Amino acid sequence: MTWSWIPQNGALIWQLTRENLYLGVVPALIGLVISLPVGILAARWRWFYPPMLALFNILYAIPSLALFIALIPAFGLTDTTVIIALTIFSLCVILPNVVAGLRQVPASVKQAATAMGYGPVRRLATVELPLAVPVIFAGLRIAVVAGISLASIGQLIGVSSLGYLFIDGLQRSFPTEIWVGVVLIVVLALACDLILVAIRRVLTPWTAARS
Amino acid sequence: MSFFSYAWNWVSNGANWHGSDSIPYQLVAHLGYSGLPLLIASLIAVPAGVAIGHRGGPAANVVINIANAWRSIPTLGLLILLAVYVGVSTTAWLVPLVVLAIPPILINSCEGVSEVDPDVRDAAKGVGMTTWQQIIRVEVPIAVPLIMLGLRTSAIFVVATATIAAYIGFGGLGRFIFDGLASNQYGPVAGGALLVVILAVLVLILFTGLTWLATPVGLRKRAKTE
Amino acid sequence: MITFEAVTKRYPDGTVAVDDLSLVVPDGQIVVLVGPSGCGKTTSLRMINRLIDPSEGKILLDGTDIRTRPPAQLRRGIGYVIQQTGLFPHRTIEDNIATVPVLNGVGRGQARARARELISQVGLDENLARRYPHQLSGGQQQRVGVARALAADPPVLLMDEPFSAVDPVVRASLQDQLLSLQAELHKTIVMVTHDIEEAIKLGDTVALFHPHGTLAQVAPPQQLLAAPADDYVAGFVGFDRGIRRLSFVPTGGLQLSPAPAVPADTTVTQARAAGHPWIVVTDAASGAPRGWIETARLEAVSGETLLGQAGTEPLGRSFVAGTDSLRAALDAAVLSPAGQAVAVDEAGRVVGTASFDQLRAAIQAETAAEQAAAELRQAEPSP
Repeated sequence: MTWSWIPQNGALIWQLTRENLYLGVVPALIGLVISLPVGILAARWRWFYPPMLALFNILYAIPSLALFIALIPAFGLTDTTVIIALTIFSLCVILPNVVAGLRQVPASVKQAATAMGYGPVRRLATVELPLAVPVIFAGLRIAVVAGISLASIGQLIGVSSLGYLFIDGLQRSFPTEIWVGVVLIVVLALACDLILVAIRRVLTPWTAARS
Repeated sequence: MSFFSYAWNWVSNGANWHGSDSIPYQLVAHLGYSGLPLLIASLIAVPAGVAIGHRGGPAANVVINIANAWRSIPTLGLLILLAVYVGVSTTAWLVPLVVLAIPPILINSCEGVSEVDPDVRDAAKGVGMTTWQQIIRVEVPIAVPLIMLGLRTSAIFVVATATIAAYIGFGGLGRFIFDGLASNQYGPVAGGALLVVILAVLVLILFTGLTWLATPVGLRKRAKTE
Repeated sequence: MITFEAVTKRYPDGTVAVDDLSLVVPDGQIVVLVGPSGCGKTTSLRMINRLIDPSEGKILLDGTDIRTRPPAQLRRGIGYVIQQTGLFPHRTIEDNIATVPVLNGVGRGQARARARELISQVGLDENLARRYPHQLSGGQQQRVGVARALAADPPVLLMDEPFSAVDPVVRASLQDQLLSLQAELHKTIVMVTHDIEEAIKLGDTVALFHPHGTLAQVAPPQQLLAAPADDYVAGFVGFDRGIRRLSFVPTGGLQLSPAPAVPADTTVTQARAAGHPWIVVTDAASGAPRGWIETARLEAVSGETLLGQAGTEPLGRSFVAGTDSLRAALDAAVLSPAGQAVAVDEAGRVVGTASFDQLRAAIQAETAAEQAAAELRQAEPSP
């Protein structure tokens, strides 16, 4: 390991890290924004959900590289391709959790809220969604962690990320560079995971009291 | 032209179906690179997961938390490290791929067993089943849907990993993708990608069917939402 | 016979669930362990089939320490029924019931045949044999749980709050079913419940626990009601134990008066002529009581009307002379508009009435007898 390489290339590493973070987190957030309304509908209209779920199971099975490639004719060798592909992946993971999260809110709680005079929108916003947060966040965490890791594959179609360190390191037979890439991705992903856990704890103070 | 037209043109070209670098050849190679790690990983991870799930305790807690760490590992980076340290044509590629394929199977098997209704587990013990009988006759049959889900997740994962492994010199369907990228020909790139997608979907369907078959009849009605 | 000898269960964090318990469960009897949550009754039960092992003391089954036998083998000889049934969801009802016989080596066909017999014996339709547990109601599942426990014909049955999870109507039906099964099978049954009424109804002996793992009183239910050992027991047993105790006293010694019974096909004129202040209208053919009429009210009715067509006041209930309890008779008297309990025979024919005075005499005779028995017990050393 040539440790000196790291500070010498600090600027490059930092830039690649920022790009990788962007490519990993943005699709997850877009996925969340889409999943919430669609998931709310799917939780209500039972017939709507099974075909969607089947579609998502199929999309989830598609290897990410293949998905990137399939999108190239439409979006080119750009960030957009990677972001769209990873957004699809995020949907596959977050949407089922939105539905599951809403469905596991006990019927008795929903009925109590209605009986106290909550309208459907208010009940959804102030009772059902907060109680669904733990399950939704579980899906969001998966999307972010996997997204940061999968974004590195985009380097194979020329989309810049920490994956650059893999390719360059391979071409130069320089393990240090490759290790930096691998370790940074893992650290980045797990750091985001911890941040999400912290946010979830803030959003759901009642769960802390229970343990 | 769209992705599908490029892909279809290339796949339907007869020349690509003959010879030593043809579609059938790489398909078989791909199945080998994915199937063997999956098989070995299952033989290790299913019994281990079931045993840990039955015992519970600290080991089970550790297992549950492996999932996110596993998902964060960039497979491309790992494969490249493998190529740099070990080279391509030795059988040492098998061990890292097996290690990568283990977590989904281990976690789901563990969870499947530990989530069996505690009253059912208590009854199995109470009627006089030995530990082995409790696991084999009661806990595992009930855990089958989750165990199969773990196998399915891992299967899809190894198919994707085998695709990327072509980058460091392995055969398989990824060969078409990377050779095409290197020579700026989108045809084989799209064609290879399409074949990979078809293979992945077939694997999905196969495992979904196997899950349905392996699930005890009494449990089929209660659909799992996953 | 099951014997607890100074059994204690202490957990690593210091909690003592069961404290120096000594108890004998005789063969062929139902002993009910009852008490508040956390009193150690379930822990004690689960020590019998070694799902929990004692910290101190030992438990003997027919004289042998249960620790000398391999646990799985021990448990196959003990039936085990729990509150949530624990039926195996992946097996049919008949395969659930056949579990222990199959474990013991009985052929599957034979085990299933026995399972189907048991299905009828616990009061279920044999057609349910091929169904799955989730297709049955809660009450049906509980019956299957009992059938599974009985399948290998074990001499001992352990039941942990088996009927708590069902509604009161189903619960009463299950309790009656258990009593009739026991009358046939004479198993040694240890049951845990938090419901004192259930304990009194089902137990040959009731063992009432203090809140922290010691016994407050072990006695037949009637004695528990008549002579609670202390205030805790009296409070646990409930506020109307005096009246509830009467349900254990038969009406053999109750004196009856001739009933003012008049068949429904007599005319009002004839009825008035009989001279009773209140009349029990009976069915002309069977002699069963239909209702009461106050003779004074008959003044307003034309003489030619048949008694059956004049409006009657509800009977309330009747009691079977000799076999029904004093409590039933008292209840009948309270419900009767005439203040008299109507006594009938096995066939339902009216045989007499009992007034409050006659009931009072019978109750006081019973109290005196109970007092004498209590004094005798105090003179004898306890078992």
